[in-house]
Amino acid sequence: MKIVVCVNQVPATNDAKIDPETKRIIREKTKAILNPFDTYAIEEAVQLKKKFGGEIIALSMGPEKAEHCLREAISVGVDRAILLSDPAFGGSDTWATSNILAHAILKIGKVDLVICGKQAIDGDTAQVGPGIASHLHWQQATQVVCVNEFITGRLIVDRMHENGLDRCALDLPAVITVVKGINIPRVPTLKGCLASKKADIPIWKHADLTISFDEIGLNGSPTRVVKTEPPVPRPSLTVKIAGTPEDCIKQLKAELIRRKQFALKSR
Amino acid sequence: MHKSIDTIRKRVYHVEILPPKQDSEKLEADLELFEQKYRRIMENGYCACITDNAMGLLAFQGSELIEELNLPVNSDQIMIHLNTFHTKDNLDNILNFCRQAGIESLLIITGDGSDRLPKLTPSNLGETDIESVTSVELLKYIHRRYPGVFSLGVAFNPYEPQQQEFAKMERKLMAGASFIVTQPLIEKNHVVDLLIETYPLIPVTIEAWMSKKLHLLSDAVGYSIPEDAQFDPIENLKQLHRVYPECGFYLSLLGFKTQFDMIQEIWNDEKVNAFPREAK
Repeated sequence: MKIVVCVNQVPATNDAKIDPETKRIIREKTKAILNPFDTYAIEEAVQLKKKFGGEIIALSMGPEKAEHCLREAISVGVDRAILLSDPAFGGSDTWATSNILAHAILKIGKVDLVICGKQAIDGDTAQVGPGIASHLHWQQATQVVCVNEFITGRLIVDRMHENGLDRCALDLPAVITVVKGINIPRVPTLKGCLASKKADIPIWKHADLTISFDEIGLNGSPTRVVKTEPPVPRPSLTVKIAGTPEDCIKQLKAELIRRKQFALKSR
Repeated sequence: MHKSIDTIRKRVYHVEILPPKQDSEKLEADLELFEQKYRRIMENGYCACITDNAMGLLAFQGSELIEELNLPVNSDQIMIHLNTFHTKDNLDNILNFCRQAGIESLLIITGDGSDRLPKLTPSNLGETDIESVTSVELLKYIHRRYPGVFSLGVAFNPYEPQQQEFAKMERKLMAGASFIVTQPLIEKNHVVDLLIETYPLIPVTIEAWMSKKLHLLSDAVGYSIPEDAQFDPIENLKQLHRVYPECGFYLSLLGFKTQFDMIQEIWNDEKVNAFPREAK
């Protein structure tokens, strides 16, 4: 089985700086890490390879320093990695980004499965995985919490939603996005880290892909960020209860009844 | 008797070294520095104590550092920390490596977790009637799986509520702990005095804080020490020698540039040692 894992380098903390003009993150001024959700995608790929054999290729689009997250992927068991880096890719929204990744996946060739983290913690859109599937016209399952079975040409997965789980059968090739909880990502070993430093990571540029300038960067991006602002703070649900144990029990009971009534009215 | 417990009984200095962090941007340089420190500890006859993801910060394991850097192992000169934040496979790999390499002394702690660290589950260790794994279950597992192979130590925190900490210590000793290392002390501590009195046959090693960074010490001991407090780590070590002549010392965050040579002087200084040791 040939698996491609799409990984993304994201700002390490929530204090990322936003360019007031472009509304985009100023990545040069922020420490970058491997997107935490992508660690689950990598681990799932490593576990599938362990069970069924094959090859894992990590793929990332970003500036040259994004190579660091690809090396991290290699340090935990990915076989090789490719970085998509070209000034022409700059300014791509999720549609253009997934298009570029889809073209790279086609160039890699004979890919059975693409695994992505459910979303990146910087944009939080959860659109790139589904976008790749759309561009490739492959089947997809998002929010996958368990890969149950892999039978030749078919993958059985459980996907999570508000009301429970869906069990889906996907014909391969396919794209899945995985959630936290699907596995426990392994911690890199020293041996793995040292090996990853020596790995050769080719950089693919626009010229390496059969994609036009109209489909990438700002030209290929149908969406524009027009404004960013912090979300409205949620009202605190915590109530401090004080007093004697008897008083506390009375207050707790009253609070629970009040909230239950509120919850019933809200339905 | 294990050679390593003999080291504790002889009160040889236990010198802590922190492994390079996982996110190090200068890994090769950090590895080189780690190796230098390790070899220096060995050459001076002390015991090297390698931490396990201290404070929940991801770092490389002592066992893999020793293997990868091909470091010498003298069973009476090395102690590895082992906490409960591992996968079962990882835990067994570490223990198997230690057994094969002749590392006998392990300091078993519950440890500090992080989002990136997996936690051992009760079923991993064959436990059915507990909700989470602590150092007690880890001690039992190691003794059951590797009988007689390791000498296992445990931590004692005199800053926690006394009754609970002593109850925990009782469980740890019942689970097979054979030596105790305290949290850092900066003066005589009546709870530690009580510990020594309660368990006269169990060697107690006192942790001495060798850094001037008091905010880190505040984090470690769990209460706030004013940043402007006067604190001289070398004087503190000498003072601890005076008040705990029967104990060994675990030196955390020792400065290798300036302090390392000074501890040799303290080691040999009969004035501060009620029970002078054989000079190295």
